[in-house]
This record gives sequence, structure tokens and C-alpha cells, in this order.
Amino acid sequence: VSKSSDWDIERALDAMQASGLSRRSLMKRAGAGALSLSLVGFLAACGDDDGGGGEAQVIPKGEISERLTFANWPLYIDVEGDRRPTLDKFERKYGTQVKYVEEINDNVEFFGKVRQQYAQGNSGGRDLHVVTDWLCNRMKRLGYVQKFDKDEMPNAVRNIEDAVASPDFDPNREVSMPWQSGQVLIIYRRDRTGGEVRSINDLFDPKYKGKVTMLTEMRDTVGSVLLGEGIDPEDATKDQALAAIEKIEKASRDGQIRRFTGNEYTRDITRGDSEVILGWSGDAVQLTADNPNVAYSQPEEGFMIFTDSMQIPVGAPNAFTAQKMIDFVYDPQIQAAITAYVNYVPPVKGAREILEDSDPEIAENDLIFPDLSQAHNFKTFSEDEEAEIEAAFQRAIGA
Amino acid sequence: MSVLQRRRGLLPYLLLAPGLAWLALFFLVPLYYMARQSLEEGTIFTGFEFAWNFQTYTDAIANYDEQILRSFLYAGAATVIAFAIGFPLAYVIAFRGGRFKNALLLLVIVPFFVTYLIRTLSWQTILEDNGWVVNALQFVGILADDGRVLATTAAVVAGITYNFLPFMILPLYASLERIDNRMLEAGYDLYGTRRAVFTRVTLPLAAPGVVAGSLLTFIPAVGDFINAELLGTPRQTMIGNVIQSRYLELTDYPTAAALSFILMALVLVIVLIWARLVGTESLMGVEGR
Repeated sequence: VSKSSDWDIERALDAMQASGLSRRSLMKRAGAGALSLSLVGFLAACGDDDGGGGEAQVIPKGEISERLTFANWPLYIDVEGDRRPTLDKFERKYGTQVKYVEEINDNVEFFGKVRQQYAQGNSGGRDLHVVTDWLCNRMKRLGYVQKFDKDEMPNAVRNIEDAVASPDFDPNREVSMPWQSGQVLIIYRRDRTGGEVRSINDLFDPKYKGKVTMLTEMRDTVGSVLLGEGIDPEDATKDQALAAIEKIEKASRDGQIRRFTGNEYTRDITRGDSEVILGWSGDAVQLTADNPNVAYSQPEEGFMIFTDSMQIPVGAPNAFTAQKMIDFVYDPQIQAAITAYVNYVPPVKGAREILEDSDPEIAENDLIFPDLSQAHNFKTFSEDEEAEIEAAFQRAIGA
Repeated sequence: MSVLQRRRGLLPYLLLAPGLAWLALFFLVPLYYMARQSLEEGTIFTGFEFAWNFQTYTDAIANYDEQILRSFLYAGAATVIAFAIGFPLAYVIAFRGGRFKNALLLLVIVPFFVTYLIRTLSWQTILEDNGWVVNALQFVGILADDGRVLATTAAVVAGITYNFLPFMILPLYASLERIDNRMLEAGYDLYGTRRAVFTRVTLPLAAPGVVAGSLLTFIPAVGDFINAELLGTPRQTMIGNVIQSRYLELTDYPTAAALSFILMALVLVIVLIWARLVGTESLMGVEGR
């Protein structure tokens, strides 16, 4: 807690400096920032919430700022020694110093952390955050994010990959722009299965009883199971989703599924506590490299793809510059360097061609450049339906 | 009344003030807001509004009776096991520890130098399906060949027991160590057998430690969710897991708040019954009747 509160104060100070407020109001706001983690924050959390905000506002034109605060997940950008080359390049081009904060470990946790600030139109100093599709949608519904001025983002308009260009929650990519995508794969222990595992339905094979894990991310798990049933998760009905959840719940009750995990599945499968699991493509690269007994496959029924996208929260002090940053990573040259490092699926056309020359092994890797015709998204249900499905899933995983 | 006397009259209140202020600020105020929130209606999209909605409570109990009951069973089992392990240990340290007393006590506390999460995660490694613990248990036939320890009820209860064991041992030790040896000698002088002296002198004198230790173990154990999360499966989830899921995953703040209150009320009832059974004197550490 103390670490994050230090950071909050530091960020508040930075925000003040950037906007040139008087020292007096600076002290006042920094003081509030320090308190926000304890009492004030708690009171705000417990008071009546006003709920969703109105239409998102388009970001006004402005000047490039001296600083930019970028909140992202750990290990999600290229690193060289203690430098981040992509950010250095941005600084060279625009003269903006980027404060890059790896503060997002979990979507729900991040939402819990920023909710009160965002609800009050305060971004907490953040200019950009990266969260997964469904949370992007929630941020939009709640009016927590600003609308892009596409005229200022020529690269993004031109180079966005078709497969991620128009999700149903943001068909024109007005409030979210993909950072990276990932696949939900079957990861398995070759030494235990004695061969390739290709079907999602193999996770329900009694042979692997108690050695199966699935993901706590509802869309990844339920979407995959729907694919196994031959249902496209993009057009699934609520009842089909609930039926899939029931199947998952039964398998969990019967002991077929050992547990539901986030990233920690990597430990279970390395130790052999699990044998056939659902996992994410970014981890699969590392896991298979570390342990020759671990293998992965793209399910023959098709695979779920998830996208983490950049958004500009309301109250972002440098929204105009944040837009430039988004556009900057849609330059194929820049994107290729990020992709070569993080091993996720890039949302930028042209990155592959560049990597074919510079790094052919990566350009050939189907974890990074999959056959996108096999990729599926999870449908965006209405708020009520979504709440019902989420609640059913939480029950299935024991809570 | 002289100024001095008046001041003396105020002194106790002044001394109490910081503690009371702390309690008011960090216990009563949050408690009020949590109570309020538990009666609200709405979603994060529509906003929450206060509505005297008591149905949240009945729904929460109806939906999560299984996890509530499980939490109390696991915490109760862990408390009993911790007592069974902790009492002999505290007894030996107190009466036979000699010059190693402090060193032995330190050993009890040492695991606490490592964070809770890491300690629990290391149990995953110790109990892994292909680890030496499981292999040994399979070899001697306690565990079936396809059996496992991790991701079972036994693992969760064992994890809770382990994590709260020092909270049991330390109060037990404190009350055992305080026992005046002459009391025991008097017991023997009155022709008490070793057993009679133990049950009629040692144990009653250790009662405050038993009460304090069992409460310090039981209360946090009921609300624990780390052990169920890391060492269990969905079939072992406790009420703490449900509260976390309701709050963070489903942003259903009223139900999360209501469940917290239900948990608090049930714990209070159990503590009161327990205090009745063993007597409030021992809870307060007042000896002799």
C-alpha cells in the first residue's frame, strides 16, 4: 500500500507541475491524494454512486506536452537494459518524456483502483491505460474515457488490422485502440497425454480428471467451451452461454476441473499438477521454451482471441499527446519492435512484413501471426444479460 | 474542586481519546458506510441508491449458505487442530524450555518473517502431485496411487492451521509460563496424581490462553480466502472468496457488504457463546474463583 500511495502522490505532483497550478492548490490536492487511500477514498467508495456518465467527448486539438503518463501491464513493451526503446523513440520524435507505469496486473483490480477517481473525472494523472475488451466497454458505458480525434491518428486509421478494427462494442474504434491481442490456447503436457491434444472437448475427457484447469477470465473460458460445442461465441445466445457455464460447473463439481486460474497456471503445468489446460499465447512461448514436455495447440474448433486496448481516460492531463502515442505505435516499424519483444499478436498491418526481413522466426510463429480466420471474439451482451452470465460463471468457479 | 482534581478527572478520558478516535474513524465510520451500502440497490451502470433493501441479506444467506457453513467448519477444524498441536508445544516450551525458551519461541515466530502469500504458495510446492510428500503418502498406502493432497479440503484446512498456528501458541505459552510452580507443588502435596494436577490445576490456569488463542485463530480463519484460493478447488471456496468475487468481479457492492455483515454477526454470536461456556473471567484473564 505504501508503495502505491507514494506513487499516487508523486503522480499528483507531476500532474500539478504539468498544469502549472499554484503551490497552494498543489499542497491541497497532494494532501487529498495522500488521504484518498485511507478515509476519503473509503467514504467516496461507500457513498452513493451516480452511475454511468454521458456521451464521450472528442479530444480537442492541442499542443504536444512535455510529459505523458502511460499505465500498462508488466512485460508488455520492449525493453533493452533499463531503457524502453519505443518510448525513447517517441521522446526523440516529439520531445515528450513518457512516464511508463506497469501498474495493471488484473482488469478487475485495476478497475477497483481507478473507479472512484474516474467517476469524478479525475484520471489520477494517467493519460493512457491499457485494458481488455470487456473493460474497455465498461469504461465506455460509464463515460470514463474520451473519444479519439481520428484526424490526428493517420497511422492508426490506415494500419489497424481488419480482424480487430470493428468490435461490436466500439465498431468505429472511437474510444479504444488495440495494443496487443492474444489467443486462448490448449496447453498440455506431452509426456502425460502421449500425443497431441487438439480439441477443446478433450478438456472434458475423464482421462485427465483433476488435471484440467481453465481461466478465471469468463470470456476466454466460456468462449472456448462454446467453440467446443460448435457454437460461435460471436453469435451465441444467453441461453447457450449459460448452458456452457453449466457444463463447466458440472465438470468442476465432478472434479474434472481442478481449478480456475489467472497467470498462475504456468506454475501448475510446469510442476505437473495440471496436464491439459486453457492458457494464453504470450505465456505459451515462454512455457514451451522452458520445458520441452509442455506443448500447445490452437484448438481445431477455432480459438478465442482477446485484445487489450489503449484508452484515454477522462481528465487525462495530456490527452492530445496520448493520441499521438497511440498513433505512434501504429507505425509498423515501431510495432515490429514491440512485437519482437512481447510475443503477442500485433494489431498493426505491415509489422509482419518488417519482421520477415529482420526476424523471420517471429514472422513465421503462429502464436504471433495466427490464422485470424480461426479467431473468435466473445459477443457483447446487454448489461443485464452480461450481469447474469458473469454471476453464473462466478458461481461455477465456486464463488 | 481544585484545578488539579479536575484535571485528574479528565486524565482517563484524555488517555482514552486517541484510541477512541482511532476506533471511531477506522471502525465505526466504515461500519456505518458498509451497513448503508448493504441496503442499497442498483448497479455500477445505474448507480447505487439507498433503499432499505433487506432482501440482499436473505438472498445472500440463501445463495451462500454452503460457503458460510464451510467457512465455520474449516475455521473450527483448524482451531481444534492448532490447539492439539499448539498446546503440547507451548507446554514444553514453558515448562521444559529452560535456557532455550526464547530460541524456541523465536522458531515459532520465524515463519512470520515471510509474507503470508509466499508461505501459502510454498505449500503448493510441498504438496504438489508428484512431490515427495505425496509420493511418501502413496508409498505407505495412506493415499491412493492416483490420490492427491493439493486441491483438497485437507490441504485447505492444513494451510489455515499452519498460517494461524503462532496465534494459538503464543497466548497459550504466555498463560502457561505465568503459572506459579508452587500451585502445582500444592497439588502434588494434596496427593494429586499427575493427571489430576494437570486437569485441575494446569488447565484451568491456562484457560485465558486457551480462550485468547482459539479466538485469535478462529476469527481471522473464518474470513480467510487465500488458503481456499491457492490450496483448494471451487468445491472448497469460503465466504471470503465469495465476498471478493462479489466485490471485485461482479461489482455487486451491496451483496459483498451484506455478506461481510452476516459474517461479522455470526462470528460475534459464536464468540459470545464461547465466552459463556468458558466464562468471561478467563476471557479477561482474571484468575481464581
